Amino acid sequence: MITARDIQVRIGQKTILQGVNFTAKPGQVTAIVGPNGSGKTTLLRALTDEVPWTGQVQINGQDTSVYKPWELAAIRGVLPQAATLAFPFTVVEVVRMGLMSGIHGNKDIIAQQALQIVGLEGYSERFFQELSGGEQQRAHLARVLCQVWEPVQNGSPRWLLLDEPVASLDIGHQLLIMNCLSDFARRGGGVVAVMHDLNLTAMVADAVAIIAEGRAIARGPVADVFNDQTLSMAYKCDLRTNTIPARTKSFILPQVASLSNLAV
Amino acid sequence: MAAPTDRRSRARQAHIWLALFLVAVSVISLATGPTGTSLWGAVAKLLAGEPLTAMERVVLWDIRMPRLILGIIVGTALAVSGAVMQGLFRNPLADPGLVGVSAGAGLGAILAIVLGALLPVWAQDVAGNALVPIAAFMGGWLSTIILYRVSTRQGRTSVATMLLAGIAIGALTGAVSGILVYMADDRQLRDLTFWGLGSLAGATWSKVLVAGPLIGLAVIASLLLGRGLNALALGEATAAHLGIPVQRLKSASILIVAAATGAAVAVSGGIGFIGIVVPHLLRLATGPDHETLLLNAALLGATLLLGADIISRLIIAPAELPIGIVTAVLGAPVFLWILLRRRGLVDL
Repeated sequence: MITARDIQVRIGQKTILQGVNFTAKPGQVTAIVGPNGSGKTTLLRALTDEVPWTGQVQINGQDTSVYKPWELAAIRGVLPQAATLAFPFTVVEVVRMGLMSGIHGNKDIIAQQALQIVGLEGYSERFFQELSGGEQQRAHLARVLCQVWEPVQNGSPRWLLLDEPVASLDIGHQLLIMNCLSDFARRGGGVVAVMHDLNLTAMVADAVAIIAEGRAIARGPVADVFNDQTLSMAYKCDLRTNTIPARTKSFILPQVASLSNLAV
Repeated sequence: MAAPTDRRSRARQAHIWLALFLVAVSVISLATGPTGTSLWGAVAKLLAGEPLTAMERVVLWDIRMPRLILGIIVGTALAVSGAVMQGLFRNPLADPGLVGVSAGAGLGAILAIVLGALLPVWAQDVAGNALVPIAAFMGGWLSTIILYRVSTRQGRTSVATMLLAGIAIGALTGAVSGILVYMADDRQLRDLTFWGLGSLAGATWSKVLVAGPLIGLAVIASLLLGRGLNALALGEATAAHLGIPVQRLKSASILIVAAATGAAVAVSGGIGFIGIVVPHLLRLATGPDHETLLLNAALLGATLLLGADIISRLIIAPAELPIGIVTAVLGAPVFLWILLRRRGLVDL
């Protein structure tokens, strides 16, 4: 379980997040959504100690400040929105960096399997800096997957905290990665992902938190939280949630005010 | 380009090849000199149980041997501090010589030479030879910290700021050094000039004893940083998420660079380009993995510096060219060639 209470983040004079509560359960994909600049990435960065914050963050029942850096690394992998790389490392060398903290098993095999999961088999010997943006993103995801290779270790869940993991991917790879995250959760791990695409979120996430103007305005199962009123309020535009009759998953359509004018 | 598994095993094989190469160059270094004293003759005598002549003992044991050892430790120090600094700044252009760390260490050394004379005689006795290297270490340490603070914001290093800050530190230390040189008396001036040329010619056992432990500790400590520096290539935040105690890694790197550069500069003056060319060549040949790069850099740095020292002794024999000139003449074109060849890939 990841629990955050009363998270506040101030950068300079500006308050980015105020009084945000957040929980994520193991076995679930928990999405953080919200409009641009609402503070959703900042919430993830507070959870992962990348920005100064006040409040309380617990992971598996203990304050994050109690853990040593390598202990935290052994229970959670973090994927930033844009990761840089200095020096000409190859793809597999980057992926193997995720295997640093006490992984059991053959590291070469795990690295190759991780590359296969993100659809980069055959890329291991390429130079990382020569890959496209989407490929680099997937290579970093493979590295993070390696870091928490077994979703449950000694009875405790491990966590993936991801900032827009599919932002620069085509639709096929978006589905591939989201399926891989669902699979990680089904096997007992926990996934927290900042998401941009509401339909992808509705399709894959189990729970969701909507952040708007620095506050968590709704939290809970996707079916409860994704409704016309909440989404329209959060995104400040007219949105409609719909459900395909044969399925239970909802999808969201924007209501374009001038659409009727276009109809002949 | 080579496959990564190839790169990894090649990097490990390189430990052995470079060590053998170092041994070979060491033997040549011991056998080379203007006096015509033969290493082989001396070895044959020792094997036959005959005593060495006084000349042989002095030339081999008091002149060539300390020079050999000093060459090894200085070459190692320069190459390793270059590699560590490039890892810390996540940039292949970071080099103690280029960005003012050597200049800071140099200022420390000059301060010690000039102001050390003002100390009471008993303090001069106590401090003795150790004062110059310690002052050089402090100077290098201060300039590295200033450089890092100025050029790194939120875990990202601006190369432009780093190079400009290096120029500023270099100019400032140059000015202060100038004032001290102006104040110096004749004997101190001779010390300063000799030291500033960059040479192993003044090698003595006492210099080896002073610089050796500091550089030895720094180099051994650096070998523990490989994983951390690899992770740091992904940025500070990601390195922390990979379980690296980033703050400690950075402090350790800065101390290592300062200790190795400071001690090297104190005993051999300004020898350039080893710190930038050696890690560059090794990255081209065996990849950027710091877990193998640091040891290989130590071995190749020592070998190249000994090679340059042999050239500096032979080229205008019986006189000697300062070794700093040899490393610059050989190193600068190699460095430019590397930059041209990898123009698309060097991340400036």
